[in-house]
Amino acid sequence: MEMRVFTKEELRQYNGRNGAPAFIACRGRVYDVSDSFLWQNGRHQVIHAAGADLTSSLDQAPHGEDLLERFPIIGVLKEE
Amino acid sequence: MAKVAREMVEKAGVNVDQLVELLVKNAAAELTTYYYYTILRVNLIGLEGEGIKEIAETARIEDRNHFEALVPRIYELGGKLPEDMKAFHDISACPPANLPKDPTDIKAMLTVLVGAERCAVRGYTHICNLTAGKDHRTYDLSLAILNEEVEHESWFSEFLGEGPSGHFLRRGETSPFVSKFLK
Repeated sequence: MEMRVFTKEELRQYNGRNGAPAFIACRGRVYDVSDSFLWQNGRHQVIHAAGADLTSSLDQAPHGEDLLERFPIIGVLKEE
Repeated sequence: MAKVAREMVEKAGVNVDQLVELLVKNAAAELTTYYYYTILRVNLIGLEGEGIKEIAETARIEDRNHFEALVPRIYELGGKLPEDMKAFHDISACPPANLPKDPTDIKAMLTVLVGAERCAVRGYTHICNLTAGKDHRTYDLSLAILNEEVEHESWFSEFLGEGPSGHFLRRGETSPFVSKFLK
């Protein structure tokens, strides 16, 4: 199945607020974290927001990329 | 509120409103975990269940202690707890440690327990990272809680057979790291 390609601008719309789905990008992949308890209202650990590329934030996070494997990959982030 | 204490933290470059929100969410996680662990503990029966009941009880009491230790710091920094208990539950930093569908499934019970502790370990590591070298008092408190959460994780994960055991039951009083904040 072909993956949907998101621009950063498109990704920003999926910020988890006001009923919008919560999508995040990491290392070129786009994940749907809408169903995660830890991403309620598109926020995670107070300082992270959905609708963005969080690759650099993940490097600082107290968990690895493996935790993202719990979430469905729904697209790829277009390189700009 | 400790006005100067808050000013010092702000001056060090910490977003105090964000920090307070994190502390409140983690306080909610501690109190709700205390509640959910109560239900898990009473269901830890039988030959296998009784074997882990004591550490589940220690973790339960220490999580309540963590809540008690966090609350003064929240108010010192100008924060407050939500007035609505349900709202407090719903902003928890960690998912509810719900009783498994089959409470006699001890592996499922341990999976819930270790999952809750791992969430806490990540949460306090996050707070330590944000406050290290900037907010000494919150760092000291978070590190003390982290020390206990790491031990809780080890106890439960070792029951799941994850690696050789470097730990045994708590000797002496509960909360050896956090007790200084409870006096």
